[in-house]
Amino acid sequence: METEKPARRRETEDRRNEGIASGVEGFNERARRAVNDQQLHDSIELFTHKSVAGRNAVLNALPEAPELRERAYRIKQETMANLDRYLEQMADAVEARGGNVFFATDGEDAVRYIGDLAREKGAKVITKSKSMATEEIELNRRLEEDYSDLGLEIVETDLGEWIAQLAGDTPSHIVGPILHMNRKRITEVLSRTAGEELPPDVEALGSFARRRLREKFVTADIGITGANFGVAETGTVATITNEGNARLVTSVPPVHVVVMGIEKLVPRFTDLSVFVRLLARSGTGQKLTVYTNFITGPRGEGELDGAEEFHLILMDNGRSKLLGTEFEEALYCIRCGACLNVCPVYRQTGGHAYGSTYSGPIGAVITPLLKGQGEAKDLPHASSLCGACWEACPVGIPLHDLLLKLRNQQVEEGLAGKAQEIAFKGFESTMKRPVLYRISSRAGRLAQKPLKKDRPLPGPLGAWTGSRDLPPLAEKSFRELWKEGI
Amino acid sequence: MSDRAEFLGSIRHRTQAGRYRPTNAPDVAWTRKGEPRESEPIDDPPARFIEELEALGGHGRCVGSLDEARECVLELAREREAKLLVRWDVEELDELGVDGPLGEAGVEVAVWRDLADFREVAEKAEIGLSTAEWAIAETGSLVLEHGPGKGRTVTLLPPTYVAVVPVERILRTVPEAIEKYAGGVLPANVCFHTGPSRSGDIEMSLFIGMHGPGDVHVVLVG
Amino acid sequence: MRVALFVPCYVDQINPEVGVSVVRVLRRLGVDVTYPEGQTCCGQPAFNSGFFDEARSVGRRFLDVFERERFDYIVCPSGSCTTMVSHYYPFIFKDLPDERERSETLGQRVREFSDFLVNVMGVKDLGARLEGRAVFHTGCHQRRELGVLEEPRELLASVDELELVGWENEELCCGFGGTFAVKMPDVSTAMADEKIKALQKSGADTLISGDSSCLMHLKGRLRRTGHDTRVLHLAQVLDSGKAG
Ligand code: SF4
Repeated sequence: METEKPARRRETEDRRNEGIASGVEGFNERARRAVNDQQLHDSIELFTHKSVAGRNAVLNALPEAPELRERAYRIKQETMANLDRYLEQMADAVEARGGNVFFATDGEDAVRYIGDLAREKGAKVITKSKSMATEEIELNRRLEEDYSDLGLEIVETDLGEWIAQLAGDTPSHIVGPILHMNRKRITEVLSRTAGEELPPDVEALGSFARRRLREKFVTADIGITGANFGVAETGTVATITNEGNARLVTSVPPVHVVVMGIEKLVPRFTDLSVFVRLLARSGTGQKLTVYTNFITGPRGEGELDGAEEFHLILMDNGRSKLLGTEFEEALYCIRCGACLNVCPVYRQTGGHAYGSTYSGPIGAVITPLLKGQGEAKDLPHASSLCGACWEACPVGIPLHDLLLKLRNQQVEEGLAGKAQEIAFKGFESTMKRPVLYRISSRAGRLAQKPLKKDRPLPGPLGAWTGSRDLPPLAEKSFRELWKEGI
Repeated sequence: MSDRAEFLGSIRHRTQAGRYRPTNAPDVAWTRKGEPRESEPIDDPPARFIEELEALGGHGRCVGSLDEARECVLELAREREAKLLVRWDVEELDELGVDGPLGEAGVEVAVWRDLADFREVAEKAEIGLSTAEWAIAETGSLVLEHGPGKGRTVTLLPPTYVAVVPVERILRTVPEAIEKYAGGVLPANVCFHTGPSRSGDIEMSLFIGMHGPGDVHVVLVG
Repeated sequence: MRVALFVPCYVDQINPEVGVSVVRVLRRLGVDVTYPEGQTCCGQPAFNSGFFDEARSVGRRFLDVFERERFDYIVCPSGSCTTMVSHYYPFIFKDLPDERERSETLGQRVREFSDFLVNVMGVKDLGARLEGRAVFHTGCHQRRELGVLEEPRELLASVDELELVGWENEELCCGFGGTFAVKMPDVSTAMADEKIKALQKSGADTLISGDSSCLMHLKGRLRRTGHDTRVLHLAQVLDSGKAG
C-alpha cells in the first residue's frame, strides 16, 4: 500500500494535466511561479494600485470622457474600414514633405530596411525610444545578429527599457516596462553598468541614467521610435513620452526611423484631440503627457536640429488579417495599458507569465491573433472574463468578448483537445434532457458519499480541491424541494 | 515586400470583403446617468495655467511688462549661476532684450542661428530660452512650433528651460490648441510640452529631469 | 404579477436553499411564482469555454422551456446566469435571425433578483433582520454587463441590525470565472486570496453576494484556509428574521 501512493498521485497529476485544462499549461506554469513570488506581487501591486487610482481620479474629473471613448471607437472603426485609403494618404503626405515611406509586410522586412539603412549611413550608435512594435519584431536582437558586421550599438533610452536591456530582460508592461523589478534589483543592474556601487535611491539612479544616456543621445547616428499615432491627412507621427527621450531621439541624430503598426493611423490631425486626452489619462493618470510630440517629415529648410532624413516604416506583421473580421476591434488599441492595470489575472501574475511581447488582456487577445492560435493557445484562457478590461479600455474594445471568440475559434479549429470536447458534448446532452440531468445529479450525490476530502480527485475537481473546499451536493435539489412544496 | 500597390491592394481586399459588424459598440459603461457631460469652463486662463504647471513641479509667473519678464530671466540666470544661455532666434525674444543685460552679468548668450554644431551649444548651455506659439490653461502646456531659429534642442538639452509667452496666447483647452492645426500644414515639429521631464520607472517614484529639463519656468507677459 | 423562476443549475444542486428563499421573498410580495420544471442550465459553462455550438443547443432548450408559458418576468438569483440569457444569447445567436429575435425578446424579461425587487416591484425594505457586519460582493456580470450596483445595497441597507461595510478593491473579480477556476487553479486561488485579505481587513463577519457561484468559490477558499466567515446569498439575507 505504501509504495502505491506516489504512483497513484502521479497518475492523478497526469490526468489533471490532460483533463479540462489541456493546452493551458504554458501560462499556468509561468503563472504558478509568479503567484508564489512575493516580491513580484508587491511590485505589481504598487504599480497597478497607483496607476488605477491615478486614472480614476483624472478620468472622473473629465465629464465628457464617455463621449470621447465613443468617438475614439468610431474613429478607429472608420479608419479600419478605409485603411488602404488612409495608408496611402499618409504615405503621400510623408513623401510630399520629403520623407521616405516603406511598407513592411512583416518584421523581417522592417529589420532588413533598417539594417540596410544603417549600413548605408555607416551608423555605429542607434538610439531608440520605447516602442512595442519593435519589441514585437525583436528588432534589437535581429539587427545585432543579422547585421553583426556593422558592430551596432543599439541603446534603449526609456529609463525602464534601458534597465531591462541592461539586465537582459524583457518589458513586463506596455507602460511600466520594469514594474517587476524592485529598487534593489535596479540598483544592482545600474551599479554593474556604472562599474561602481550606486546608492539605492531614485535620485542617484536617475541621475546616473541621465548622464549615461545623454552621451548616447548626442552621439547617435540614427534614432528609432515607434509611433503612438499616425495622421493620414498630414503625414504626422505622434510620439508621446514623459521622459523626453522620444523627442531627443528624433531631434538630435541626423536620421529618424519610425516603425509604426498600420493600425496606429487616425484620419485627421484633429482626431488626436480625442486620443491624446484619453491616452494620457488612461495610461498614466495625466491630463497630458509631458512631451506630446508631433513630427511631420524631416527638418525644414533653415532648421539647425531635427533629423535630416525621415523614414516611415508602415508595418503589417499580421495585423491586416484582422480587418473586416470579428476580431478587428483588437486593432483599435492605443496601448495605454489600462486593461493590464485593472486585470485581476495580470495583477496576480505580472506580464512575463503571458510569455509574449504584449501581456494582460490585450496581450491575451492580440498575441494569438498576430502569431496564430497554435502559438499561444493558453492565452485566451488566462482570464476570468470579468470584463474589467473592457470597462477600463478608453477605446471601448470588448476584450473579454474577443477572448470568448478566440476560445470558440480554438474549438472550431479542433484545438481545444479531446477531453474538453467529450466533456462538453456530455454537458450538452445532459443539459438538453431534464431526465438525464436529474439522473446524473442523483448519481453525483451517490458518488460523492465515499469521497474523502484528503484524497486528490481526478480532472477538474482535483484542480478545484487542490486549494479550495468543494461544497457537497445538497441532499435534495431545488427541483425536489419545489415538488414537495415550499 | 516593398511594393506599395500590392501591400495596399491586399489591405483593400480585406477591408472590402464583407465587413463584420460588431455586436458590442461602446455603450454606457462609462456613462452614469444624470452626470454633467462637459467640463466646467475655465474663467481665468492665466491663473489656471500657472496652477496646472505648478502642480506638475514647474514654475509659472504672470508679469505686467517686458521689463519685468526680462528681470525674471536675469534672476533665474543668476540663481542658476549660468555661464551660457541658448535662445531662439525670434523677434519676441529680441524685443525682450535680455542679451545685453545677461552679457553684463557674465552670461554668454548663444542665439539659435548659424551654429557650426548645435549639439555642442545646446548641451553646454545651462539654460534654454524660447517663446511659445500657444499655451494651454487646462493642462499647463506650451505649444512649441519649431523651425528656423526655433530649435528643438533649446527646449530639451539644457537642464533649465524658460519660456516667455504673451498672455494673449493662452488657450483654454487641448482641443482648442489642436484645432489650430486643423486641415492645415504642420511645421516639421510641434510639441505640446507639459511640465518638467520625468520618469516613474523606478518603483513609481517620480524622478524629475529625466532626459529633458527638470527645471521649467514660464513667464506670462500681459 | 406572474414570475417564472430561473434557478441556475448549481443553485439547484448545491444551494437549493437560495432558491427557496427567493420563492419565499417573492411570495411575501404577492408574486405568483412558478418554476418551469423542464429547465436545466443556461449553457454558460460551455459558452465560457468556447463551445458555442453546445451552448446554443442548451440555449435553445432554455428558450423553449421559458417560452412555453407566458410570464411577466423571469427572475434569477444570479447576475451571471441572467447575463448569459440577456446579453450572451443574442451574442451566440447573432447569425441566426430566428433565435436571435427570440433571445432578445426573452432577454428583456429576464431580471436579476435584486434588480427585479427594486426596479420592477419598487421594494427596498423587506422587513428582514440579520445581525452582523457584512461586505457585499457584486459579481462581475452584474457589475459590468447588467450595471445592477446600487440595488443590492439598497435592499441590504433596510435589513435590521445589519451593518454593511466597504472593502478594498471591491470591484475585483473573485477568481471564479466558471471553468477558469479549474483551468487556472493557481491564479484563481490567488485572486480569491486577494478578496479574502480585503474581507479580513474590513472587519466583516459576513460575506453576501447575489451570485452563488462567486460565493461557492470564496467559501471554498475561506474554509480551506480556516476562516469561518458566514457566507450568504442576498436572498437568504432578505428572507431572514421572518417567521418561517
Ligand atoms: S486594449 Fe484598451 S485598455 Fe488595453 S492597452 Fe489597448 S487601448 Fe488600453
